[in-house]
Amino acid sequence: MAAPSKARTEKRAARRAGEMGSRTEYLAFLLAGENYAVRIGHVAEILRPPPITEVPRSSPTVLGVISVRGRLVTVVDLRRRFRLPEAPLNTPMDRRARILLADVGRGEQIGLLVDEVQQVWRLAVEEIEPANALGGEQPAYIAGIGRPAAGDGTVLILLDLDPILESP
Amino acid sequence: MAEGGGGRGDGGDKVRDEFFSEAQELVDGLGRDLLALDDALKHGRTDVELVNDVFRAVHTLKGLSALFGVTRMAGLSHELEEVLDDLRLGRLEVTATLLDLLFRAVALYSRILAAEKGDGEEPSAEIEQLLLALGQTSQRPTGRGGGGVAQYDLDPALFGVLTEYEEHRLRSSIQQGLSLFRIRVRFSLATIDSALDELKASARPHGEIITYLPSGSGADVDTIELEILMAGRATVDVLRGAIAAPNVAIEEVRRRTASSSQPAGRPAEQLVSQAAPPLATSGAASSAPPAAPRQPPAVATRADAAEMSLRSVSQTVRVDIRKLDRLMTIVGELAIVKTAITRLSERARARAADPRELAMELQRLNRSFDRHLAQMQGGILEVRMVPLGQVFDKLARIVRQISRDLGKEVNLVVTGADTEIDKLIVEELSDPLMHMIRNAIDHAIEGRAERLRVGKPPVGTLALNAFQKGNHVVIGVEDDGAGMDPKGIVAAAIRRGIVTAQEAAELSPRDVLALVFMPGFTTRDVATDTSGRGVGLDVVKTNIAKLGGVVDIASDVGIGTKITVTLPITLAIINVLLVEIAGRLFAVPLASVDEAIQLDASQLRAVDSREVMTVRGASLPICRLDRLFGLAPSHGARKYVVIAQVGTRRLGFVVDEIVGQRDIVIKALGQSLKGVRGFAGATELGDQRVALVLDVAALVEEVLSPGEARFLGWQPAARGA
Repeated sequence: MAAPSKARTEKRAARRAGEMGSRTEYLAFLLAGENYAVRIGHVAEILRPPPITEVPRSSPTVLGVISVRGRLVTVVDLRRRFRLPEAPLNTPMDRRARILLADVGRGEQIGLLVDEVQQVWRLAVEEIEPANALGGEQPAYIAGIGRPAAGDGTVLILLDLDPILESP
Repeated sequence: MAEGGGGRGDGGDKVRDEFFSEAQELVDGLGRDLLALDDALKHGRTDVELVNDVFRAVHTLKGLSALFGVTRMAGLSHELEEVLDDLRLGRLEVTATLLDLLFRAVALYSRILAAEKGDGEEPSAEIEQLLLALGQTSQRPTGRGGGGVAQYDLDPALFGVLTEYEEHRLRSSIQQGLSLFRIRVRFSLATIDSALDELKASARPHGEIITYLPSGSGADVDTIELEILMAGRATVDVLRGAIAAPNVAIEEVRRRTASSSQPAGRPAEQLVSQAAPPLATSGAASSAPPAAPRQPPAVATRADAAEMSLRSVSQTVRVDIRKLDRLMTIVGELAIVKTAITRLSERARARAADPRELAMELQRLNRSFDRHLAQMQGGILEVRMVPLGQVFDKLARIVRQISRDLGKEVNLVVTGADTEIDKLIVEELSDPLMHMIRNAIDHAIEGRAERLRVGKPPVGTLALNAFQKGNHVVIGVEDDGAGMDPKGIVAAAIRRGIVTAQEAAELSPRDVLALVFMPGFTTRDVATDTSGRGVGLDVVKTNIAKLGGVVDIASDVGIGTKITVTLPITLAIINVLLVEIAGRLFAVPLASVDEAIQLDASQLRAVDSREVMTVRGASLPICRLDRLFGLAPSHGARKYVVIAQVGTRRLGFVVDEIVGQRDIVIKALGQSLKGVRGFAGATELGDQRVALVLDVAALVEEVLSPGEARFLGWQPAARGA
């Protein structure tokens, strides 16, 4: 039906893009119904959320800590960080919820809880609008807006992780 | 905390690590030997065997550092070797001043090693000063001195490669007042033999070629650059005329002027002291009056020394082979258990066995496995343990140095140096202890005259003792100095704005002493070089707290001060009490748990908006952790109080449930949570769940901080049997 033709379109788009020059890979995910994306180089791993241990007295955006193969990782709730509505029933442990392990400098990794991981987009420079395209002043963590040519009108909010990780 | 660094698989790094480890060990040993020499000297003896040991250590260091291209170290070792050789052969006498120089060398070695590790600047200026001082100390029957060599702008590393004969020729050339020339020649590899002979021939009439070495710089595959050191009477121009060629560069090795090699206005002989025999090296040396007061080493050196760390650069633990053998045996036992399990699982798969029999067998294996695992754990912990003597030796050097700098006489008494503690803790411990010792000598111990006036022995005593107490090591730093005057402390604290006069009036004597650990506290208005440089006892306290330890202080005016540090033996594996608070699991290190009792609501009362529980007739302040942590309290009928003891302070933590004891490996929380207080880290419980480990010392401090606790007036409860 539609799917194979869509895949073909994408392939064609990708080929065309390859001819057009350098592209950056973004990992797209869903957060309160919106499409977000981060550069894939920042993401070390995608995890199914293990039980998260709350850390009293930490910032409200910090969900807690998890152990990833014996290493402690702080998990940040991106919904709370972006002041998005809380997940329904406040249960982030949806079947599709994932934790993105993001590399921070200083040898630390931080977990970012997202609603659902979608796909990887390879975006060319022409497919990225600057953040101010949204009008007005945007928070530092918004790096721009991605409009993949092959995305059938998909709009991605591209995130710069550094400001998020500096002050989770 | 317990996480190792990333894999450092690089072979070069490994070799370099071994260099650091070996060099550090040599330097430490050197320090020990020097202390022994110093001790012998105080009793009027010179131990020839020790001098030989020192000589050998320096010689080994020289070779080692030359091998690894640590030229500064090689150069310094070379000059030291000269002096030590003189000592060994009786040409020089062991004096306190000479020992000062040698101790300075040990300190510089440590700093060179640290700099090589990328930890701080190389102390080039100080090395130069010391080289100069050493050079002038060295005294040969011929009158030639190492100092003569040091006056030339030569790479100290050069001496690492000169043969004895070449070195002899170099020295005697200098002695004769000949000029030194450095000639750089680039030869084609194909023709080097004939070209070199040719060059030698044309140079011979003008002087003597002392050595030629590949310079190692700028060479490509087909050519090699040699650096030739030549001595002669000719001028550089004559020489240039004689061996002119496009591939030759000649320069005269310049004598260093006094101003370039030392800070202006500080003649070298003040670095050496007047106690050394008069030297015939330079005219300048005799111009200083012999009775001139001994100047402390350059201020810059002292300031740096104050910042210096006693931490060793090596992370290596040397292990007694027998300990490893024991571990190996245990591993063997574990392998046997593993084999048995394999066999059992095969039988289970074959369904040949009776399930009950299998279950029993499994249980037996499990017990055996547990036992061996515990042994293994204990064995590995033991390997991590090192005697505190490692730190104490370094501290002894510091005591000697500071007391000489300040002109105070201090006798250091060390006991319990064989008490063992985790290597990691030892490393982190040296700096806080050094700080306490500085304080004691600088602030507490009086000068000789004052001591005599108040009827104390003229020489002050500083006692450093350590002993093991259960899972803790207790280290005491005690002096017989002036003690801390509560009035002075209070006045200083008010002046610094740490407390108000009104608050101060309500402080108990104990709380007054605790003020010295407050940030910003100092009794001095002028910082001295030795202590009081703004790094206060609060830093000591913080650093000890990071290791899970506590600091206590007791002081009597006129009698002395004792600072006690209580530390856990290891940081790697700790025994904890798992408790439940508001439905969440937390771990409380058992090391700081005194006992756990049921909460008896009838024994609770509020004192000054704080809950206090009466336990066996004594008051115990209570902290409700669910409230402190902002968790929704659970309404279980039965609650428990975990009584924590940190130093002499006790605090009861109210918890909902006591789950049990567990041995855990504690992991540090990430950087992103470093602002969160009250947790020492977290641990994995084995079922993917993570429990936070309470930082009991920090919580007790927070809850009972002087600002609030001083109104409480509680007495430590009598401890149960």
